[in-house]
Amino acid sequence: MRVTQSMLSNNFLKNISNSYEKMGKISEQMQTQKKITRPSDDPVVAMKGIAYRTSLTEVQQYKRNFGEAHNWIDNSDAAMDQATKALQRIRELTLQANNGTLEGDQRNSVAKEIEQLRDQLKEVANTKVGDKYLFNGADTLNAPVGDISGTKLDSNGNPIYEVSKNDTPVKLELSKGVYIQVNSRGKEIFSEDLFKNLNSLIEKLSPDKTDVDLGDDIKNLDSNINTLLNERATIGARSNRLELMEDRIDQQEVNATKLMSENEDADMEKVITDLITQESIQRASLGMGARIIQPTLLDFLR
Amino acid sequence: MISTFHGLETAKRGMNTQQSALYVTGQNISNANTLGYTRQRINFEATEAYPSASMNRPQIPGQMGTGVTAGSVQRVRESFLDLQYRGENNKLGYWNSRADSLAKMEDIMNEPSDTGLSSALGQFWQSLQDLSVNPENDGARSVVLQRGQAVSETFRYLSDSISGIQDNIGNEIGVSVKNINSILKQISDVNKQISEVEPHGYLPNDLYDERDRLVDELSTYFNVKVEVKQSGGKPSPLAEGIYDIKLTNPNGQEIYLVQGSNYNSIGIDGGTDSDGDGSKDQPPKDGLIGALLIGGTTVNIANANGVVGLSQGKLRGLIESYGYQYTTKDAGGNDITKEVGIYPDMLDQLDKLAFTFGTIFNEVHKQGYDLNGEHPTEDFFVGLTDGNYKGAAAKIQLNDKMTNSMLAASSAVNADGKVESGNGQNAINLSKIQGMNIADLIKGPVSLEGGLVIDLSGNPPKLPFDSGTISSNYQAIIGKLGVDAQQANRLTSNSATLRQTVDENRQSVSSVSIDEEFINMIKFQQAYNASARNITIVDEMLDKIINGMGLGGR
Repeated sequence: MRVTQSMLSNNFLKNISNSYEKMGKISEQMQTQKKITRPSDDPVVAMKGIAYRTSLTEVQQYKRNFGEAHNWIDNSDAAMDQATKALQRIRELTLQANNGTLEGDQRNSVAKEIEQLRDQLKEVANTKVGDKYLFNGADTLNAPVGDISGTKLDSNGNPIYEVSKNDTPVKLELSKGVYIQVNSRGKEIFSEDLFKNLNSLIEKLSPDKTDVDLGDDIKNLDSNINTLLNERATIGARSNRLELMEDRIDQQEVNATKLMSENEDADMEKVITDLITQESIQRASLGMGARIIQPTLLDFLR
Repeated sequence: MISTFHGLETAKRGMNTQQSALYVTGQNISNANTLGYTRQRINFEATEAYPSASMNRPQIPGQMGTGVTAGSVQRVRESFLDLQYRGENNKLGYWNSRADSLAKMEDIMNEPSDTGLSSALGQFWQSLQDLSVNPENDGARSVVLQRGQAVSETFRYLSDSISGIQDNIGNEIGVSVKNINSILKQISDVNKQISEVEPHGYLPNDLYDERDRLVDELSTYFNVKVEVKQSGGKPSPLAEGIYDIKLTNPNGQEIYLVQGSNYNSIGIDGGTDSDGDGSKDQPPKDGLIGALLIGGTTVNIANANGVVGLSQGKLRGLIESYGYQYTTKDAGGNDITKEVGIYPDMLDQLDKLAFTFGTIFNEVHKQGYDLNGEHPTEDFFVGLTDGNYKGAAAKIQLNDKMTNSMLAASSAVNADGKVESGNGQNAINLSKIQGMNIADLIKGPVSLEGGLVIDLSGNPPKLPFDSGTISSNYQAIIGKLGVDAQQANRLTSNSATLRQTVDENRQSVSSVSIDEEFINMIKFQQAYNASARNITIVDEMLDKIINGMGLGGR
């Protein structure tokens, strides 16, 4: 084939620009650390990329939801621990008062302490984390326990106990389609009966009354303590389950990240090798260009 | 008897002819880098020998040559390669313009990335999950509103950008039509000039070059067929004649673009004339391109079955990107107009996506309870016309009446009719919209978390999609874009390679080789010198005859 200078230089120009284009692609891969930057580079990778990113976002979000679940459960547990201690102290005091050896003013001070503990229980029931009350079912913006002094009377003359009966579960989505209840049944633990019993206990311990049998009260207290312990056991089991699920979601995150990375991340060894290869091709063609364009027959005549 | 000065005459012709050959060499070297220049050569012809056969010829043994003359100056070109080149050129034009418009679309869609629609939807989804965990939190609520706004803005941005580029492509079509008409006019002008030169027996090589270059350029826009007609008068046998140029469409239709010194300008049916030159170069103001007008002939872009009837080339590539329309019959036998094209299709898909997303979201949102314990009276997204998805992506936006407390995150109210602030079940429902199965939604009522039910079934279906999820439909859109763009890129590079090969063959024949010209230069120079020397010799011979003879005995 007859080859002319203009063909050589046109070809050279075309090859050099192809080479630059490849360099551009490689440097793009280097900078973005990604195999592809647009769908046409590899439509399958692009489509999968969207799906993998979506599932990674999901997994990461579920992980974030776990934080909130722990918040609920750990704080509920701590609150219930306090409540247990308060109830046990009340039981201790009641036992003491029940054996009949206490003087009037001693009984009075026991009554005072129980009163304090009762208020303490109310405060625990109204535990608030952030802007939500933990023990009011899903009605998180209102305190579950209001006035429990027993001094407010309704139209029939019966004392009013402002204790919430809301036990709607608060459920968080912690895995695709898996909803875990995170609140405890405040209605059971801090019930109207509890405060009623405590008030009557305090009443029975007033200094003018002596030798009142407190056996029923102790029984009531025991049953309250039991309810509380049951609820704590439930929460403990839930916490365990949470940890298991969290482990699994961590694993899922690793998997999702790995899948995404395998799908779209550039293989750096390959990119660098490509770069070096391309660089040498570039050098060679530039060198060639410099050699082929210059000389003509004229340079060798005369 | 031969003339005494015969030798002088022969040598003179030699000198003259070699000299003109050197001039042609000079012309070739000067134009070594001229685009479209074809190298020229002088066809040397030996002049008629003496004596010629005739009754009164002198009785001499044999014929004596009388030298050389420059018979013709001819282009060194192979027209078959032109044919091949032009055949490849319209394919390259077609795929190149498609690849260009798809690349622009890929830039806009920007997937996979952290800024595309899928990540906007992902962030929105996350904000709804955050809301479901903290439904009483004002911050979480306002994040949802912000992210909702971001999603609708992303839809609007994509739609606006795509429409914008579609308009640009419309302008490019206008520029192309003007360019084509200008090329057609130039070719017919050159034809006219050629028809004025050729009858005199000359070869207007530069005009030929010019015309071939113009036909090459024209062949980017569509497939053309060149028919050669001989000029009148007494043209040289090497004359290339007048070009009649036809547009050939895939359905066999052929339309004259150039006939001698006349041409048929092309225009767009129903289009507008941007510069008052009489040809409608811009696409119609409303609707897409339906047909081209060439002279008096209408060329439909596609027939009633949707088969494209316009020749492959840059013009078709641009029209397919911009969008075209054709009329077909629906099931009831009524005329309906179908709109097809890369950009209209993408806009249509985005509209469907935005409409589906917005409609489902509003419906689910409506089922929930806001912080006041009421079902929301306002739609979350506005701008969606009931039952008509067209234009949804351009119009969808967050209802500006939406406030934090109006966000219906809960699925229930308590016995007092008050919302349970910690109930985030409807936020979960909202977060799941991206993955809801559309086939189920259009079939009948679908139950959601928290005992809510939505019903998006209806006849005709309320949603433009009939299967998949919003997410999978979007993935399919991006996948198709990727495949289309990949194909266009691949075929662009294939047809570029093919054209390059043909062009190389053509250049191999026609381009100027400096080395070759140098060699010719030396050749002609030496021949010129030798002819001159020949004169000297003849001169010496004559000197002998004139001054040296008849002097015997002196």
